[in-house]
Amino acid sequence: MIKLYTSSAELVDFAAEKYGDRTAFSDTYGSISFKELQKSARTLASSLMRAVTTGKTLPVMVYMPKSINSIVTFMGSMYAGSPYVPMDYAVPMARFKATAQNLCPAAVITDRDGKAKLTDAGVDVPILIYDELVSGNIDDDKINAVLNTATDLDPAYIMYTSGSTGTPKGVTISHRAVLDYTKWLTDTFDINSESIIGMQSAFHFDNSVFDMFAALYTGCKTVIIPEVLFMYPEKLFDFLSEENISIIFWVPTVMISVANSGILSEKHLKTLKLILFAGEVMPIKQLNQWIDAYPDCTFVNMYGPTEATDIVLYYIVDRSYSAGETLPIGIPCANMKALILDEDGKECKKGEQGELYIGGSGIASGYWNSPEITKKAFVQNPLNKMYCDRLYRTGDLVYEASDGNIMFVGRADSQIKLRGNRIELGDIEAATAAIDGIDNCCAMFSQETEEIYLFLETQAEIVQRKFNMELKKTLPSYMIPQKIVSMAKFPHTPSGKIDRQALKKQYITERTN
Amino acid sequence: MTIAETISEFIREKFEIGDDPDFTNDVHLFNEGFVDSFGAVEIIHFVEETYAISITQKDITLFPMNTVNEIAAVVESKQ
Repeated sequence: MIKLYTSSAELVDFAAEKYGDRTAFSDTYGSISFKELQKSARTLASSLMRAVTTGKTLPVMVYMPKSINSIVTFMGSMYAGSPYVPMDYAVPMARFKATAQNLCPAAVITDRDGKAKLTDAGVDVPILIYDELVSGNIDDDKINAVLNTATDLDPAYIMYTSGSTGTPKGVTISHRAVLDYTKWLTDTFDINSESIIGMQSAFHFDNSVFDMFAALYTGCKTVIIPEVLFMYPEKLFDFLSEENISIIFWVPTVMISVANSGILSEKHLKTLKLILFAGEVMPIKQLNQWIDAYPDCTFVNMYGPTEATDIVLYYIVDRSYSAGETLPIGIPCANMKALILDEDGKECKKGEQGELYIGGSGIASGYWNSPEITKKAFVQNPLNKMYCDRLYRTGDLVYEASDGNIMFVGRADSQIKLRGNRIELGDIEAATAAIDGIDNCCAMFSQETEEIYLFLETQAEIVQRKFNMELKKTLPSYMIPQKIVSMAKFPHTPSGKIDRQALKKQYITERTN
Repeated sequence: MTIAETISEFIREKFEIGDDPDFTNDVHLFNEGFVDSFGAVEIIHFVEETYAISITQKDITLFPMNTVNEIAAVVESKQ
């Protein structure tokens, strides 16, 4: 029987004791056993606590390439009582600084190249080098004291997502949320010590929570797939085959790209058993290609915003779907609940469209250091007047089908999902407006072509590739628009606003058709 | 023509780069927006066919192939 843990870091101790020398994680450069992970993470925690003051209100930013070392750092931070904050290694420095300003972290842990970049950019946070933290004495007494005083509602990690005003929001997730989610997912899909997970997600996206903690919970191995291989589906399949991967939890964009490459009919992965996907809508056409290639695999469509520890709803694909049908996002997982409410906060009947509100132990504590936006997004359950019952307003429009499954319809605001990435169009507009020579701008998304259009009002001559390079100084690459349209003067509505409908009609609808 | 020149010419034509002076043998093809991720597969297919070599997943994982010169170096090591 597994005891009731209060810190996710305790899972490392549990795994070290139970699974010992078995391989926990592997990457391009090697592998690490559960015991070695415990030793390295405890060493790092001890060095970290000697270097800076740590604690639940003092997060640790982790700025390293996707590797085993990142995992050691996450676990080490939690051993030291600090939530970890995974940063994209390719994040523009302006965005890093905005994040650090919101976060007020204890330190950033990085490699030598990372330190040089952060120092050049003038990042005003104590910078610690990974290699220097994983040598030295382990102070087990101090770590155990931290674990003994931790509560399960303390933050385990903080993940930053796109914010509509251009400032990223730090979603704060508790240990309880991580522990409950991991237990549910591994129990439900019988993930065990023989399983081998092929990890696609970057650490700054929450699908990584499953990839990491499932290994600690079950003793299975997680193989960090080299990111570059996702550009080459054929080579990617060679890799998956050589590594005997049995479980993948990928964003649909990657599954679509694999299906479109034709590789599904050319190469077969004998060990693949469970295929989970989440992050955006999975098109039926490509899903069917996967199902045709792997009829004996279990396919699960999953849904969840970052504010809900990765997953809230899931649907095990139990029949074939034809083009034009929509795949359900399913029913709530354990410890979570879903409500569909209308604009007056009343529960919608079956078939009626409303906004999805979610609750349960996996819901984020809020946005770090941002009480105002937290108050707007996390609200009291209007159907419960008796006790505190927090719900997160997802902004997603859904309805409940006759069979009880929830169906996704679209967004209630301008947030979009592109290749699994959540993007606020206002974030792109804020970055664009800050560029010299731009008088006005607006960003739109074409559902049909899955492209972001950026409209610029400017007198300057715009070369798209060069303009994108400017944007990349402040925006992550997944937010860079696919199409840029510049003009001397925007069309306006009678009330003086930008006439978005006119722009959409002239440059998106008519061109698409 | 050298290997690098051949690869450079292929990329320049295939991805309609024209005479952009920023396109050099050392420029990062993907970060600088000259080639998108789908184009990466086409470049690998081109060098595999042209030079009758096989680029494995280990080559791709271990050796950076983001610039014309880096791709040429991998091709040379395979010949």
